[in-house]
Amino acid sequence: MKKIWIALALTLFAIGCGTQNENLAKGKELIKSDKRRKEERAVREFKLALQQQIDSAEAHYLLGYYNSQEFYEPNTTDWQEASITARGKQMFLAYQAEQRKYLERLVFETLRDDDLDIQNAALDALKRIYKQGDRKRLLSQLQKAIKSSDNRDRHNAHWILGHLGAEDPGTIVPILVKLLDHRRMETRLNAVKSLGEVGSEQAIPALAALIESGSAKWKRDREEPEVRQLAVEALGKIGGAAVPELVKIVENKGSSLRVDAIRALAILGDEKVVEPLLEALKEQSSRDVVIPLN
Amino acid sequence: MRKKITQFNQPHHSVFIVSLLLVLMFGLGCDNQYYDERLKMQVQQLDSDLKDRWSTSGVVVLDTTPNGPANRAQLETGELISYVIAEYPVRDVGDFNSAIKQALDEDNNFILHLKDKPPLRIALRRQGDKVGLTVEGNGTVRVKEIQPGTPAANTDIQIGDLVEKIVDERKIYSLADYKKTLGKFSKKQFTFRTTELIGVKIAAVDALGDLGDVRAIAPLVDLFKNSTEFSLRKGAINSLQRLVELSVLNDLFQAFQSADINQLPADSLQAQQLESAAILGLLTVDRNENTATLKAPFGTQFRHRSEALYQKINEGHLATLAQEYIQIEIEPEQEIRRACLAMIGILKPVSAIDALVAVLENPAEIPGIRFQAGLALSQIGEPAVDTLITAFEKGDTSTKDIAASALGSIGGSKARDRLINALENSTESAIQLTLVDAIAKIGDVPSMRALERQLQQYQQDDESGVRIFLDEVFRSLEEESM
Repeated sequence: MKKIWIALALTLFAIGCGTQNENLAKGKELIKSDKRRKEERAVREFKLALQQQIDSAEAHYLLGYYNSQEFYEPNTTDWQEASITARGKQMFLAYQAEQRKYLERLVFETLRDDDLDIQNAALDALKRIYKQGDRKRLLSQLQKAIKSSDNRDRHNAHWILGHLGAEDPGTIVPILVKLLDHRRMETRLNAVKSLGEVGSEQAIPALAALIESGSAKWKRDREEPEVRQLAVEALGKIGGAAVPELVKIVENKGSSLRVDAIRALAILGDEKVVEPLLEALKEQSSRDVVIPLN
Repeated sequence: MRKKITQFNQPHHSVFIVSLLLVLMFGLGCDNQYYDERLKMQVQQLDSDLKDRWSTSGVVVLDTTPNGPANRAQLETGELISYVIAEYPVRDVGDFNSAIKQALDEDNNFILHLKDKPPLRIALRRQGDKVGLTVEGNGTVRVKEIQPGTPAANTDIQIGDLVEKIVDERKIYSLADYKKTLGKFSKKQFTFRTTELIGVKIAAVDALGDLGDVRAIAPLVDLFKNSTEFSLRKGAINSLQRLVELSVLNDLFQAFQSADINQLPADSLQAQQLESAAILGLLTVDRNENTATLKAPFGTQFRHRSEALYQKINEGHLATLAQEYIQIEIEPEQEIRRACLAMIGILKPVSAIDALVAVLENPAEIPGIRFQAGLALSQIGEPAVDTLITAFEKGDTSTKDIAASALGSIGGSKARDRLINALENSTESAIQLTLVDAIAKIGDVPSMRALERQLQQYQQDDESGVRIFLDEVFRSLEEESM
């Protein structure tokens, strides 16, 4: 079975090679080498390739993937940012030409790149897809990634969802909240982190419930300590209406997350926390208490 | 699947399944709160994550019912019970043997109290091993025999030692431990040993320093003075130092507060305070745009609290406190003495000069702290000059060294003339470099003339430290003027 697939892939690849334009082929040949100068030349080839065939998804993608000073006018002050935007746009154009393939590639491949600029360009492209492309499909791919068994995919998906959520919490927060029930602990962990990065007060009840589950009657209802700890951190990032929830944790003497809540509140600088903190200082020191029995 | 169920669907199987379910329910997911009917209090198992993080474990008192035994014993909400301790008085041989038997149960160890000796913990390697101790007597019980090769033989118990009591200490890890141990001790008088949640308090202390709220001062001072826990005292003094640092930026924050905005032109603010505030991360300065912007959330919130904090600290109690605790005779912990010196350096109270000079001159103090006292004096500045000159004149080499350096930092004609005089007449080569450095720091015309005279004097001496140093001073001056 596997062999048939490989054969099929090879055939498709051969057909692809046959139809692909010469500049694209030349550019791809050039980037096989790691040398910087060749990369510049390759980028030029990709540009030429696009002149021949404006909807070449691969040329757009590669143009976005490889940075070129010449291409992005380096003499402006916001060069770095402009470059990332321009690269993100190229990746988005690749997506527009071949939606399914490049959506998957961006989420599961491009984001995994070590180069921070490439990650940011992919983020830019995915934001564009969210606004102008097939949003439903994008969200389902991101959910697939955050549920993945691969740590990189989960991490990348949480990062993207955090950014998308910051702009559109109404859509993203319910998705993330639903993920808090996912069976994979690492997925829940990333969903919590993402909710912190979104920073929307909408997420407070779900996070508070998760934190409180630590004192649930049955063990199966209790969330793992790591997740609960991150949920406290997330409340700290949300701030505002999350402050009373954090204060509640500080006041819950049986909670192991008091330290985390105190730290989160200290960063927020809210004076509402001063009284509970002073109360915490008044707690008894270590001592022996004799219990009289009748 | 369906088939299997029908197979089990016979009477004795279903009994088995029900009991298995019950075992699973109690074994895997036991309730984490419990109302102790006998002591009349509600306890809760501490979350397992805290156990790992602070190496504390136990059950937390959530609530005590008024007039119940726990309430009468003044057990407080929030206390963490980490040991239950039972005491067995030993009046005869039977007492001794039964006490040991009970105490060894489960944990294989007990604590033996002998008259005029520190308590001894005796632990058996395996259940059923012999303690190796026999006793005799009625009313007073004494050690009769110690068997070689037993745990008792490895201690300094001697034949004839008087046995007072056996103590059984049980560590409580979980609610199940709590229930089991209390069930066992039900007829004995027992003691709870509670553990202070230091981690929570340290976090609270740190946070109070960061929040910059005036209400924190008195409790922090109280904790600093009275806690026996070094980490808490250190945290408290560091937080107080932070509050002092924040309070001296009051003018800056008042500029924002009176305008009721979070951004002001950078050049309208006092440069030094602006720089300190930027270093503390309270605001950002953009020189190109000429803006100083308070950072949210802390910077923007603190401007409302700044004045009250400033007023309180300006009353001077903290300066007095710091003066007391810079003395090695009062405060043995050097980190705390350092924090107090730093506080004085920021507050600059003239009243601290004598105490600082005492630290500077103290040969029992470590050099770094003596130097820090000199630094604090130089921060106080002009009012400290006379005292520093006296210290310089009568002090040992280290004192001279530190005092000269401080005088150089303060500057002014009086300090300068004394330093130049010392440089030109001193025979102590050890402090000459310091003198040159101090004079160079003052850097006015008479200072530079004095240094040139020195350079001439050392013309022939290429190798001397002073010569190399002088060359260095003049070279960097030339570079500056270029």
